[in-house]
Parts: sequence; structure tokens; C-alpha cells
Amino acid sequence: MAASIGAAPCRTLFRRSCGKRLSAAWGLLGGARGLVAQGETHLGFQTVPEAEKEQRVYQVFESVAKKYDIMNDSMSFGIHRLWKDILLHQMNPYPGTQLLDVAGGTGDIAFRFINYVRSQREYRLRQKLKSHQNLSWQEISKSYQEEALKPLGGSQVVICDINKEMVKVGKQKAQLLGYTEGLSWVVGNAEELPFDDDKFDIYTIAFGIRNVTHIDQALQEAYRVLQPGGRFLCLEFSQVNNPLISRLYDLYSFQVIPVLGEIIAGDWKSYQYLVESIRQFPAQEEFKAMIEDAGFLKVEYRNLTAGIVAIHSGFKL
Amino acid sequence: MLGRATALRRGLQVAAGRTRGPDSGRGSAQPAGLDPALLGLLVCPLSKRPLRYEESSNELINEELGIAYPVVDGIPNMIPQAARKIEAEPPHPTGEESTQS
Repeated sequence: MAASIGAAPCRTLFRRSCGKRLSAAWGLLGGARGLVAQGETHLGFQTVPEAEKEQRVYQVFESVAKKYDIMNDSMSFGIHRLWKDILLHQMNPYPGTQLLDVAGGTGDIAFRFINYVRSQREYRLRQKLKSHQNLSWQEISKSYQEEALKPLGGSQVVICDINKEMVKVGKQKAQLLGYTEGLSWVVGNAEELPFDDDKFDIYTIAFGIRNVTHIDQALQEAYRVLQPGGRFLCLEFSQVNNPLISRLYDLYSFQVIPVLGEIIAGDWKSYQYLVESIRQFPAQEEFKAMIEDAGFLKVEYRNLTAGIVAIHSGFKL
Repeated sequence: MLGRATALRRGLQVAAGRTRGPDSGRGSAQPAGLDPALLGLLVCPLSKRPLRYEESSNELINEELGIAYPVVDGIPNMIPQAARKIEAEPPHPTGEESTQS
């Protein structure tokens, strides 16, 4: 597989990937997700002091920010779009919802949310008009005017990300795609959210929580800022349950993805970190227990693509 | 393509029928103001107390703790490490590291 990539760096890539394969094998066998010393945490397969992790992760995303979307498409063959669409369908937001999208970086979830709410509103408007057959033209034009004035029905999404570069890229994308209203950008830390209690209806974190140093703190903050009745949704890479797919997935992750990262984004190490951090993240059940510890109820998860990705959901009741 | 995006954006704003304060997307000539909708939502991440928006220096100020969070390009930076400690004298533009509580 490495041979098909290119001529000159081929041999070094192959040697590097051999070393990585060994560490990957160790990780899979020995349970590298084991114990770390007090005050230390995982950075992929390395162990680093906790204080360092946040800084290192920041550098990773700072370096990949501009190519983030292209890399997502290449690595997952565009399937990440389906995963995010499924998340939105599970969320099923109605117009008027206040969404907090943490680690929302380039805005994928937020844009989908706006599209969803907008089309919901149009659909309801059409249903309303259909059911009132004997409306005068004045009433009809008034309802269209209302729709034009509040196309989102009062919905709002706040995108919070710790990384300035990702937020910058996201904001540029929003302007390019024409998302002007209902969208707010904040640079903030998921472990210390700059929002008051009981503010949001839905909290989402898509492919972000595994980069947080103290996941339990982030979950507690999520609980704090949600309104009673609010929903927590987390879309994240998880453990594959099928052994055959697991082998193929590991092969792909450790052989292909860092190489793609080098070719497309010019950054091998960041994507090596990426695939390692996926392996380090707790499995579905363990993460579910962590969410329950934070106080959420009716916590469920659903696997997508054989467990490569899972959506965890919980309610603040 | 940029022209079409601008036209689309303008079209959306007209359809919306309301202006949203300083339009921070319209080129670098505009001041980087803060979105008013956000102001009601934001609190200090350390103390969870409300903040005051200072127009002149474009910062969100927590009076009690004496720190100010910068607003860059209309995006407030609410990371505690990015906050500036306010002394009794008027603020100067250079940022400093704040001491964590």
C-alpha cells in the first residue's frame, strides 16, 4: 500500500509505517489505554503531562485547520457527511431551538442545523397553508412575510471552539456559503464554558470530545449549560465490534491516513495523533457510564458504520 | 464566486428584513464589533458572572476579577489564558497573560 503512493519518499514512508505498525500492535495487544501516572494523560499513544496535552492538541488543529474539511472528505470518503446528517436527524430540532455546538470548529454541524430548521419551517408553513384552504390572499402574503422575517423561527446556534484558527476557517466558510444569521462564534474551552447555567436546548460535540484533556469536566459543563429537558449529543469515533472490520479499519487507519495527511495537509504527525487518539478514547459502554456520571439520564448510544463512529445521547431531566 | 456569495448574502439580509449590527463580513474596513445576540449569553468562564462590553477597546470586561477578554474580528476569545488583567489605569492595547485563580 505504501508503495503505491510515490517514488521518492516511498522507502522512508514504508520504514516509518513499519515502526508505527509496531506501536499500533502494542497498543492493540497491551492495552495502551491502561494506567497513566497521576497528572499525566494520553496524547494518542504517548503519555504526556496533562498541562501539555491541551497545548499540543491546539497545535495539531492549528496546523490542520485550513485543510481540515478536505482531509475529512479524503479520509472517510465523504462518509463523515452521512454521519453528521444522521446526527442531525437524531437531533430532529424544531424551529426555536437554541443549540450549542462545542468543538464546532469549521461549522459542519451548525450549518446542517440551520438547513434543517429552515426546511422544517418551510414544510410547516406549507402544511399550514394547505390545511387552511379558504385563506384570503392577504393572509397568505402575511404568513409568507412572517416566514421571511424569521426564517429560522428564533433558532440560534452558538459555535464554541478552543482553537482560533478553526473558528476563523469556520467563519470564512459561513460567509462563503451564505449563512449570516442565527450563527454566533465564540472561542472557548469545553472544560470551562463561558455560558451561564440552563441556557441551551441542545449541546452537541462532534469529533471533539476525545481531544479534551478532562472529559468528565467537559461533560459536567455540558450538563450545566443545558436547560432542564435539554439534550446532550456526542458524535465520536468509537470501538469497532466486528473483528474483521476492526482489522481492516486498523490497517487503513495506521497505513493510509497518516500518509494522506502528509500528502494533502503536509502533516504526518497530526494525523498520526488523530488515529491514535481514536484508539485511546473509551469504548461505547464506558463513555456511556461517564455521561451518566455527569448526571445525564436516559443515556443511549447508537453505532454507525459497525462502530467506527457512535452517537451518544443523554438528557438533563 | 465571491461576487455571487456577496449577492446571496445581501439577498438573505434583505429577505430577513433586519440588520444585525456591524456586518463583520463586509471586508476589512468594518470595525470588528461584537454580535449583540452573544452579549446576553456570555459570562466569564472562571466566575460565571456577567460581562460588560467595552466598545473603545473591544473587550469583554469582568469587573469583579478585573480581567478583560479580547474580541477579535467579532469573535470573543473566552479562554482564561487569553484574558488581560486590568490594572487601575486605562487599558493599553498590548495583551498580557492573566494570573489564573
